[in-house]
Amino acid sequence: MPLLGLGALIFLIAPFAALAFVTDWVGFHFVPGDFSAAFVSVAYSLVAMPIIAALGTPLAWWLARRDFPGKLVVDALLLLPLLAPPLALGILLASLYGPYSAAGVLLGRVGVVLTNTAAAFVLAQVYGAMPYYVLAARAAFEAVPRELEEIALTLGKERWQVFLAVSLPMARLGVAAGLALAWVRALGEFGIVLIVAYFPHGIPVKLWVNLEDSGLAAVYPLLWLFLIVAMPLPLWLGIVSRRRGLM
Amino acid sequence: MQIDYRLERPLRIEARLSVAGFTVLAGASGEGKTSLLKAIAGLLPAEGEPYGGLPPQDRPVGYLPQGFALFPHLSAWENVAFPLARRSGRRERALGLMARLGIAGLAERSPDALSGGQQQRVALARALARGPELLLLDEPTSALDPATRDAVLGELIEEIRRIGLPTLVVTHDVHLAAMADRMALMVGRQIVQEGTPREVFAAPVDERAARLLGYRNLFFGLLQAIVDGLATVALDGLRLTAPAPSWGVPGMRVGIAIRSEDIALAPGGTTEAGAAAPPRMNVVMLNVTAVREEGLALRLSAYGSVALDILLPRGADGSDLSAGARVLAWVRPEHVHLFRAAG
Repeated sequence: MPLLGLGALIFLIAPFAALAFVTDWVGFHFVPGDFSAAFVSVAYSLVAMPIIAALGTPLAWWLARRDFPGKLVVDALLLLPLLAPPLALGILLASLYGPYSAAGVLLGRVGVVLTNTAAAFVLAQVYGAMPYYVLAARAAFEAVPRELEEIALTLGKERWQVFLAVSLPMARLGVAAGLALAWVRALGEFGIVLIVAYFPHGIPVKLWVNLEDSGLAAVYPLLWLFLIVAMPLPLWLGIVSRRRGLM
Repeated sequence: MQIDYRLERPLRIEARLSVAGFTVLAGASGEGKTSLLKAIAGLLPAEGEPYGGLPPQDRPVGYLPQGFALFPHLSAWENVAFPLARRSGRRERALGLMARLGIAGLAERSPDALSGGQQQRVALARALARGPELLLLDEPTSALDPATRDAVLGELIEEIRRIGLPTLVVTHDVHLAAMADRMALMVGRQIVQEGTPREVFAAPVDERAARLLGYRNLFFGLLQAIVDGLATVALDGLRLTAPAPSWGVPGMRVGIAIRSEDIALAPGGTTEAGAAAPPRMNVVMLNVTAVREEGLALRLSAYGSVALDILLPRGADGSDLSAGARVLAWVRPEHVHLFRAAG
C-alpha cells in the first residue's frame, strides 16, 4: 500500500518536477500582460468565492438534510454542470446570458453585460467552480450526526444558530476542502472563460495566448506565477480547518 | 407532572403517566421508549401535553440521549455553556454548574477524553444550563462502565433528587426502576402499570408486566376460595395460598407470579434430613433437573407438579445440590402474587 501511494504521488507531481527542469531560469522573463492577468485571476476569484459560498452552502445543506420527492432527479441534474465539457458550458452560458438572448437583453437594460466583462468572468468562474464546492460541502454536512443538531435544538437554539454553532464547525474540514477545490477550479477555469469572457485575460487564457503568440518560453514563467498565487489559500484553509474550535 | 402523549410515527405509541421525582419508565427493547422521549422533547411529531405543538427550542426540557451527544468540537465547559447566551459571565455560569455536579476539574477537557460517567455529568450540566422544567434521560446506564455503573448511577440519582427536577428515565433495565421514586411499565406501546417500585414489583398487573419485572415463574390456575384474606389457587394438582386480591372472586382464572429468589428449599426437605419441621403451605416436592452457578448464587431448574426456576442465595439450604436431587421447595404466601388472567 505505501508503495502504491508513493507511486501515485510521484505520478501526480512529476509534471511539476519536470517544469523545474524545462524552465529557462537564466532567461526567465515575463511578457507584457502577465501580471495584469494574474491580478485579474486573483481579484475576480476573490469576488467569485464569497458568491460560491453564499449560494452553494444553503444548497449543500438543503441536499444533505432534506428529503423530498424527486430528490434523485435533482441529484442527477446537479451532475450536468460537472459532466458537460467546459467549452460546451461556456457556449450554453453565452447563449443564455449573451447580448442576443432574452436574459441578456433584460440584463443589458440594467447595465449588466455578461460577455467579455468582469461580471462575465466572475459568472464563468462561479458556474465552473460551484458544483465542486456543493458536492464537497454536502458530503461534509451529511457526515454531521443529526442527533447533535437535534440536541442543539432542545438546548434552546434556533435552527440558524444550530447551523452556525454545530453543523458548520463540525463540517469544517469538508467545507474547507470544498472551498479550496472551488478556488482552484475558479482560478484554473479555462473552457467556460474562453467563450464567455475571453477578455479580460485571466492566467489560463493568457497561458493560451502566450503559447500562441510567443511559444513555450512565455508559458513557463506565467505558470510559475500561477502556482505562486494559487497555492496560499488552499494551504491556509487546510491548516485552519484542522484546528479545533474554528468557531 | 402529568405526561400524556400520542405518536403515530415511527411507532404508534400512547403514553399517559405521572412524573414525580426520579421516575423510571421500563419496557422491553422496541417498545418505542426513545421515540416517546424524543416526542416530548419535540423532535418527533406527536400530540400531547405538556408542550404540545411547540418547536423543540421552545420546550423547557433537558434531554439526555443515549451516549449523551456532547459536541465533539467543543470543550466540556463550552458544551455546558452552549445553551447560555453569548454575554459576559457565560464561562463563570458554566463553571458554576459544573462545580455543583463535581466536575469543575474537567472544564478544559475534550468530550472524547472523558469517561462515560463524566460525559453523563457534562451532559446533565448542559441540560441544566438550559433551565428545564423536566429532565428526560434515555437509557442512562447504557454508556456506563459496568464495574462502576451502580455507583455512578446512584450518585446521579442523588444529584437529580437534590436538584429537585421531575425526571423521566426510560430503560429496559428493571434494576434501575427499583431505585426510582416512581415507576411505570410499558407493554405493547402503552403504559400498563405505574406506581412506586414497591407497589409495582409486588403486584404485576399481567403476565407481560410480570415478565418485564423479572418474574420467571408464571402459571395460571383457578381461584378456589378466599378465607381470612387468603386465596387458595389450584393448578395441576397443586394448591397455593396467596394474599387475596381485591378483585378476586372464587371460580375465576388467575395468573400466579413467583420470583425465583423467593423460593426456598424447605429444611428437612432435602435429601439430608434436617432438624426443623417443613412448612405446612405452598410446599411442593420437585426433582432438580439442572444446577447452574450464577455469581455467588445458585440457579436451579426443578420439575414436579410444576416446573420452577429457583435462585438460592449463597449459604442457603440446598446450595450444595446437584442435578437429580429431590427437594421440597416452598414459598411464603405473601410472595405469591396473583394477577388477572387475560380473557
